[in-house]
Amino acid sequence: MMNNNIELKAINKTYQKSKNSTDNQVVVHDNFNLKINSGEFVALMGPSGMGKSTLLHLIGGLDKPTSGQVIIGGEQINNLNESQLTRWRADNIGFVFQSHHLLPVLTAQANVELPLALTHLNKSQRKHHAATALSLVSMADRAKHFPKELSGGQEQRVAIARAIVSDPKILLCDEPTGNLDRKTADEILSLLAKLNKEYGKTIVMVTHDLKAAEYASKVINLETYTYDLKAHNVQEARL
Amino acid sequence: MSLFEMIIKNSFRKRIRFALTALSVAVAFFLLTLLAGIDHALNSNIGGNSQFRLMTSHKVSMTQSLPINYQKKIAKVEGVKAVTYASWFGGYFKNEKNQLAMSAVEHTSYFSLFDEYLISQPDLDSWKKNRIGIVIGQGVATEFGWKLGDKIPLSSSIWMNKQGSFSWEFVVAAIYQTKGASVDDKRIFFQHRYFDKSRAYGRNNASWFSTQITPEANLDLITNQVDAQFNNSSFATRTTSEQVFIKEQAQQFADMAMVIKVVLIAVFFTLLLIVCNTMVQAIRERLNEIAMMKALGFSSFNLIKQVYLESFFLLSSGAFIGCLLANITLSQVQKLMSNFLSGITIDPSYYFYVFCLVLFAAFICSFFPALTIKRLMISNTLGAKQ
Repeated sequence: MMNNNIELKAINKTYQKSKNSTDNQVVVHDNFNLKINSGEFVALMGPSGMGKSTLLHLIGGLDKPTSGQVIIGGEQINNLNESQLTRWRADNIGFVFQSHHLLPVLTAQANVELPLALTHLNKSQRKHHAATALSLVSMADRAKHFPKELSGGQEQRVAIARAIVSDPKILLCDEPTGNLDRKTADEILSLLAKLNKEYGKTIVMVTHDLKAAEYASKVINLETYTYDLKAHNVQEARL
Repeated sequence: MSLFEMIIKNSFRKRIRFALTALSVAVAFFLLTLLAGIDHALNSNIGGNSQFRLMTSHKVSMTQSLPINYQKKIAKVEGVKAVTYASWFGGYFKNEKNQLAMSAVEHTSYFSLFDEYLISQPDLDSWKKNRIGIVIGQGVATEFGWKLGDKIPLSSSIWMNKQGSFSWEFVVAAIYQTKGASVDDKRIFFQHRYFDKSRAYGRNNASWFSTQITPEANLDLITNQVDAQFNNSSFATRTTSEQVFIKEQAQQFADMAMVIKVVLIAVFFTLLLIVCNTMVQAIRERLNEIAMMKALGFSSFNLIKQVYLESFFLLSSGAFIGCLLANITLSQVQKLMSNFLSGITIDPSYYFYVFCLVLFAAFICSFFPALTIKRLMISNTLGAKQ
């Protein structure tokens, strides 16, 4: 990837409510355009049903637009086939979801190592990378613990370590603090801000939480189709 | 985390479920292996001289005897190389719990037809000269500690001697070895002429005739010609190949071939349903994790491979336990049934067959989970949780 710019051009995304009906379509995005520059921390906001998660899935190659272009780092990913997309995701994207989706049978260390199984790293290199990622999220001392032995915040930290272990340039976070209390949420958001500022990760985060959005450098409100450079200073400007 | 470790950890998520499913697989393979052992015994004598041997017995029942002079008449049929005869003695040692597979045989011809019993020429000559001599298998010698020259009193549950006793005196004249593991080494043979002269009744009769035919002879034609000779006499015969004869003996208890087929079909159909259900359930419980792994960059093929190996691990664990238990059981069954049916053992090629069966069953069992994984939409699955 030459740069980490994210561009969505003339995106249309529709869902069909029923398989048997052709006129029963829900339009989620209609001619939607978006550009996120490399190194930005963007919060996507808006009420439920506005297509925030759908946008995240389009950027992450988990879903394809009905029409339009999804261009990441200069590569149009909506033209890639399933196996190409799988490979592309492994190389370029880290995901953090509201539910951590850690494998319960694996320790924190093994969970973080999981994406590295797709690389050419040997066992000791994988262990080293995973240990580094865990210490970055302050979870080194919990490396041997299983998910059920961790708190919600700790599980989310491990999920973040798993997302960054293969050093992707882009982190996509879907309500990463949705299940957490305020204090723990602030810790997670600080961690994401640190990853953005100190390690140059491009972060796109879906959230309902205005406090969470304050950590972002840009907020995009899908309801008003506006963005604000400082979330705490609500000055909406139409694009 | 290697692939193997991943398979093991996923397999043991629900330990009780894994154990119960593996147990059901073990039961299936236990039955399959038992039946394979019996099937091996039924077919073990195919090949060698046995494929050129016929057995002629009374048409009505094996318990009825035939005149000894049938030997000459059978020998005249074109394609017949040699004929011998034998009678069932129904012997036991000391008490009836020690049953022995003991036969009186025509001493000049019997062992030239049955060359799977290996006897040194001096021992054979010695036996032929000794009227009360017996040839015993190495298995009998080992079991009872008998050696050459020992005088052994043996009893018959059928035949009384002229002295009005069911107890007969014998001397160990030879010990035979066997050509292969499937040949019974627990048989006892003695001279038919001694039997005939000493028994109180039924003289000049034999229980069955064994006929060796030439390799180029037509087996069906000879069978028909032999039986046709005695069709209208009061001692009508029924001639079959030796293999059919052994199978028929076994099938006095049950139609083994049919039992094997029915049990196998039922067992494996049930087995596939159980393991398929287990795998479908296991994958359904892990849909979110699988979607997450797909999001991380694991391909569908990679994940399907894991499911296939999980199925294989489950099936092979059960198959291993089942085969092991069946082997132990078969060795006991062989001891109990050695007088009735020899060669109850497992051929090494059977384990290759089991391996292929497990590979195939794992394919079937992982088919539906594989479809689920292939069709899984990451966005729908992970999105639905939130």
